[in-house]
Amino acid sequence: MRNVIRKILPAVALLWATSAMSQDDLPIPADELVYCTVCHGIQLMGNPIIRAPRLSGMETWYVEQQLRNFSAGVRGLHEDDTIGVDMQPMAAVLTDAQIKAAAVFVNATRSTSPKITISGDTLKGKAHYSTCAACHGVAGKGNEALGSPDLTIPDDWYLVTQLQNFRSGVRGSHPADSYGMQMRASVQLLADDEAIMDVVSYISTLRND
Amino acid sequence: MKKPLTRRHFLNLVGAAGGTTAIYQTSRALGLMEDTGPVAQLDLKNVARSRKKVAILGAGISGLAVAYELERAGYDVTIIEASHRIGGRNMTLRHGDLIDEMGQQRTCNFDDDPDLYFNAGPARIPGHHHRVMHYCRTLSIPLQIKSNVSRMTYTHEENKFGGKPVRIGQYLAETRGLLAEIVHKAVNKNAFDETISVEDQERLLAFASSYGDLDPNGIYKGTLRSGYKSGGFAKPAEIFERMDFREFLSSQFWQRASFMFENPDWGEPLMEAVGGMDNIVKGFARDIKSPIRLNAQVQSIQLQQNGIDVVYNHKGKRKKLSADYCFNSIPTHFMPGIPNNLPEDYRNGLKSLQPGWGFKIGLQMKERFWEREGIYGGATFTSQRIGEIWYPSHGIHGKKGILLGAYQFYDPSMFFDRMTPEERIAYAANCGEKIHPGYSDYIEAGVSVPWRRMNHMMGCGTRFSEDARERYFSLLQQPAAGRHYMIGDQISYHSSWQEGALASAETALLDLDKRVRAETGESRKA
Ligand SMILES: Cc1cc2nc3c(=O)[nH]c(=O)nc-3n(C[C@H](O)[C@H](O)[C@H](O)COP(=O)(O)OP(=O)(O)OC[C@H]3O[C@@H](n4cnc5c(N)ncnc54)[C@H](O)[C@@H]3O)c2cc1C
Ligand code: HEC
Ligand code: HEC
Repeated sequence: MRNVIRKILPAVALLWATSAMSQDDLPIPADELVYCTVCHGIQLMGNPIIRAPRLSGMETWYVEQQLRNFSAGVRGLHEDDTIGVDMQPMAAVLTDAQIKAAAVFVNATRSTSPKITISGDTLKGKAHYSTCAACHGVAGKGNEALGSPDLTIPDDWYLVTQLQNFRSGVRGSHPADSYGMQMRASVQLLADDEAIMDVVSYISTLRND
Repeated sequence: MKKPLTRRHFLNLVGAAGGTTAIYQTSRALGLMEDTGPVAQLDLKNVARSRKKVAILGAGISGLAVAYELERAGYDVTIIEASHRIGGRNMTLRHGDLIDEMGQQRTCNFDDDPDLYFNAGPARIPGHHHRVMHYCRTLSIPLQIKSNVSRMTYTHEENKFGGKPVRIGQYLAETRGLLAEIVHKAVNKNAFDETISVEDQERLLAFASSYGDLDPNGIYKGTLRSGYKSGGFAKPAEIFERMDFREFLSSQFWQRASFMFENPDWGEPLMEAVGGMDNIVKGFARDIKSPIRLNAQVQSIQLQQNGIDVVYNHKGKRKKLSADYCFNSIPTHFMPGIPNNLPEDYRNGLKSLQPGWGFKIGLQMKERFWEREGIYGGATFTSQRIGEIWYPSHGIHGKKGILLGAYQFYDPSMFFDRMTPEERIAYAANCGEKIHPGYSDYIEAGVSVPWRRMNHMMGCGTRFSEDARERYFSLLQQPAAGRHYMIGDQISYHSSWQEGALASAETALLDLDKRVRAETGESRKA
C-alpha cells in the first residue's frame, strides 16, 4: 500500500525524506545492500566525493540493466574507466536474485533532488535536447521500450561524465552493449564539452521535485 | 624534475603534510593544553546530575576515547557504529576474522595461533605519541618494542646494483663514506671561505673521517660498518669493497632507506601492543560500559533548537537518538552522502577533505627463513610495487610467522585494490622472490587489506589541500552550532596516526567541557 502511495505521490515521499521526524517510512536496506549506501549515500542520495551518482527512485528495469552490464564487464572494465571500475566488482558478486532485490530497493529509495553543480546555457541545451527527447522523452523521464533511462534522477556531474564516457567510448563500445551503442551514436550530436554542459544544465530544469 | 614529486610523496608517506611546526602553533594558539609532551588530566566536569546525552558516531580510536572520558564524567553516552566490529582502522587480523572488502568479502585464513596475527592498520607507536601512550598506560595494555629499522634488512632497486638487494647497513655506510670523502676533499681544497677557521677545519676533517670511516688520507675504502663480507670470528674479517657511487646518485630511492626513519614518527624505538594492536581497542571496550550499537549505520544528523538528532538503522529498524551533543568520527568523505542540516560552510569544509590510500598484505610463512639471514624485525624497502617487507619482532625462532608482504600509502592508481585477493598475494610473492629467493614456497596463507575498498571506511590518510586547510581546519575543529563535533585523525595534523585521532578527541572534549562549565558560570582552570 505504502509503495503505491509513494508512486502516486512522490512529493509526499519527499517530505518524509527531508523531515527528520518521519523517516520511518524510508526503506531499510538488507545487509548486502548496505554497501550500496556506503558509496551512493543514504537513500542512494549520491556522493560526489565517492563519484557515486544519486539513484533514488531509479527505474527497476534500468537498474537491473546496468547491474547486469557491470556484472558482465560490459560496463566498468574499459581500461580508461577510472570510475566505473569502483562499481564493477560490487555488481560482479550479486546473484540474479540479488540484482532483482537491489533494483527493488533502489526504486524504493527517496531523497531530495541533488544540488546543481554544472552551469551551462540552458537555452542552447534545450535546442540540443530536442534529439535526445526522441528516446529519453520530452520530460526526460525515459522510455523503457527503448532502454533509455530517466535522466532527471542522477546528479548533473554524473550525467556529464557519462556523456563524456559515451563520446570517448569508455561506455557504449563493448560489443555486447547494444543500448550503450545506441546512446554512443546519439552523443555524437554534442560537438564538445560545452554542448554537454549546456544539455545537462537543461536536463536539470526538467527535475520536478 | 622528479624532485618535487618525490618530496610530496614523502610528505604523504609521513602522513603529516601540515608539518610539525604547524601542529605546535595551532594548538598553542587554542590555548588549551600542551600539544606535545606528557598528557595532562582532562579534568572534565562531572555532569551526572544533568545526565547530558551524547551520541558518538563511529567506534574507532577517537570515538572510543571520547566515550571512555565522557562516561567517566557522568554523561549518558551511546556509540553508533556502522560496521560489524569496533576499532575502525585499528584492525588486527587473526584466524577466521572477516575482511569486509566491498565486493570481495572473505575471512582470514591464518592458522589459529595467537602469535599469527597481522596489524592491517596501525602497527607502530613512537614514544612521542603521548596520548596513545597515556591510554596504553591507563588501560594497562602491554607494549613491546617493535623493531622498525634494521641494518640487516635490505634496500632493493630493480635497476640498481644489478637488481640485488643491499643490506641497509651497507647502504648507509656507503652513503656516509661518500659524503664524508667529499667534505674531506672540500676542506683540503680550501673550498670554504674565511668564516671557517683553521682550527674548525681540523675539527671538520676529524668529524668527516669519523662520520664516513675514512682512511688517514681521507679516502673511503669501505668499512666494517657495512657488515662482514666473510670471517670476523674464527677467521680474519673481510670487509666489502666500496660500491660504485654513481649508482647511489642516480638512485631515486635513497630517501626511503636512508632518511625515512629520521622522521620522529618512525624514529626508533617504536612500540606495538603485545599480541596485536587491536588490544588498544579491546582495552577501551573492556572499560566502556555505555551501549555500543554495531551494524548501525547513521542515516541522518539534524541539528535541532536544543539538541541534535541522529537517526540510524539497527536490526531492521530506524532509530532516533536525541542528544545534547554529537561526536562524529565518520570519515568525512561519507558526509555528503548522509542527510544533515549542518551549516553550509561547515559542510563545504567537510567536502574539502579527500580520502587517501592505504594497502597492506600479510603473509603467513611456514618457516621464519629471514631469521636465518640474520634478520630479526625491521623492514626491507624495494622499488617494486609492494614497497616494503616487514619482519615480525615477536615470536622469534618460533615455527611460523606473519610477514608484511606489501605496504603502499600513496597509490592513486589503486594498483592492488583493483586485483582479486588471490592476484594480490601472487603478485607480492613474485616481488618477494627478488629479495629472498624461495620466498613463494614459504607462503601458506595471506590477507590483503585495501583500505580504499574497505566497507564503511574507503580510505586512510585524509588529504587537505593547503588552501582548504587554511580555510576550513579551524572551523572544523569547532563544534557546529556548539553541538556537533567532527573528530578523528581526519581533523588533525596527524592524519593516519592514532595520535591524531586522540588529539582531535581531546580538543573536542576540552571544548565541550568549557561550554558545559560556562552554563553554570564556571571556567576551566588554565
Ligand atoms: C594501513 C594503515 C597503517 C596505519 N599505521 C599506523 C601506525 O603505525 N600507527 C598509528 O598510530 N596509526 C596508524 N594508522 C592510523 C590509525 O589507524 C588511525 O589514525 C586511527 O585508527 C583513526 O581512528 P579514528 O577514530 O579517527 O577513525 P576510524 O578508525 O576511521 O573510525 C571511524 C569509524 O566510523 C565508522 N563509520 C563509518 N561510517 C559510519 C556511519 N555511517 N555510521 C556509523 N559509523 C560509521 C567506521 O566503521 C569506523 O569504525 C594506520 C592506518 C592505516 C589504514
Ligand atoms: C565502491 C563504491 C560503490 C558501491 C559499493 C556501489 N556502487 Fe554503484 N556506482 C558507483 C560508482 C562510482 C558509479 C558510477 C560509475 C560511472 O561513473 O560510470 C556507480 C554506478 C551505479 C549504477 C549506474 C547508475 C546509472 O545511472 O547508470 C547503478 C545502477 C549502481 N551503481 C547501483 C549500485 C547498487 C545497487 C549497489 C549495491 C549493490 C552499488 N551500486 C554499490 C560506486 C559504488
Ligand atoms: C536512440 C535513442 C537515444 C537517444 C537519441 C539518446 N539517448 Fe541517451 N541513452 C539511450 C539509451 C538506450 C541509454 C542507456 C544506455 C545503457 O543501457 O547503458 C542512454 C543513456 C544515457 C545517459 C546515461 C544515464 C545514466 O544514468 O547513466 C545519458 C546521460 C544520456 N543517455 C543522455 C542523452 C542525451 C543528452 C541525449 C541527446 C544528446 C541522448 N541521451 C540521446 C538512448 C538514447
